[in-house]
Amino acid sequence: MRVFAERLGMTEEAKSALTRTVPFWAGLTFAAFGAVAGLALSDAINNATTLLLMIVPAALFFQTMRVANRGGSCTGNREAQRRYTKRVALFTSLYLLALAVMTIADKNGVGLQAVRVVLATLPGLAIIGVFWAIGRLIVEERDEFLRMLTIRQSLIATALALSAASVWGFLETADIVVHLDAYWWAVVWFGGIGVGAVMNRMKYGSWGAM
Amino acid sequence: MGGDVKNRLKVLRAERDWSQQDLATRLEVSRQSVNAIETGRYDPSLPLAFRIADVFGLAIEEIFLREE
Repeated sequence: MRVFAERLGMTEEAKSALTRTVPFWAGLTFAAFGAVAGLALSDAINNATTLLLMIVPAALFFQTMRVANRGGSCTGNREAQRRYTKRVALFTSLYLLALAVMTIADKNGVGLQAVRVVLATLPGLAIIGVFWAIGRLIVEERDEFLRMLTIRQSLIATALALSAASVWGFLETADIVVHLDAYWWAVVWFGGIGVGAVMNRMKYGSWGAM
Repeated sequence: MGGDVKNRLKVLRAERDWSQQDLATRLEVSRQSVNAIETGRYDPSLPLAFRIADVFGLAIEEIFLREE
């Protein structure tokens, strides 16, 4: 990114200011999400690669929220957010590990059905861990305003993901669109969390705590 | 619902020369919370309204007023 900024002929101060802005990181997040989704939908990359690459927009979104909350926290809510960050980092690492193990096992042709079931369940369990971390953030957040924003963000994400799944499902039944594996709705939900943050900012002037 | 109640938070804060962060620290909430309450975007719960009243040493009705 520094190289990119230097090529644009930016000063140190301007570079620093740019990397502190929420729109910059949010733009990168949506661009990365769009790029990965585009590659996946055009069959340029396979499913395992897509799921691995989805970590990039997820990490960028995380950075977006860190920048958004910089300087805005205080003793009341910082502890809950710190625990949330640790938990999400842990479950994201487990997700990558589970995906890697599943891919290796698949290439080596693990035939035993029980082992295949266990391996295929692991990435999903890691994603459940992220949902659990969000639930704990809502429970542990002592700042009622930030808690309300997190709940609002989650409801917006849920509405978007379920609406998209419903519409896509019927289009798929009518053979109008291609089949999507069900885990994609979790990805859409996480995209909805980003939309929720923007909507929180528009209505309440704050991006939220997530 | 946000438009039904107005408050004197900004004035009371200015009288004491407190920044939003100063008030947030006293209330043990985020600066965003103080900003949202002050600008009328968010109405605090009753327990938080009592904490605000305690911090300013006033009654709730001296801080939060019904919009006519």
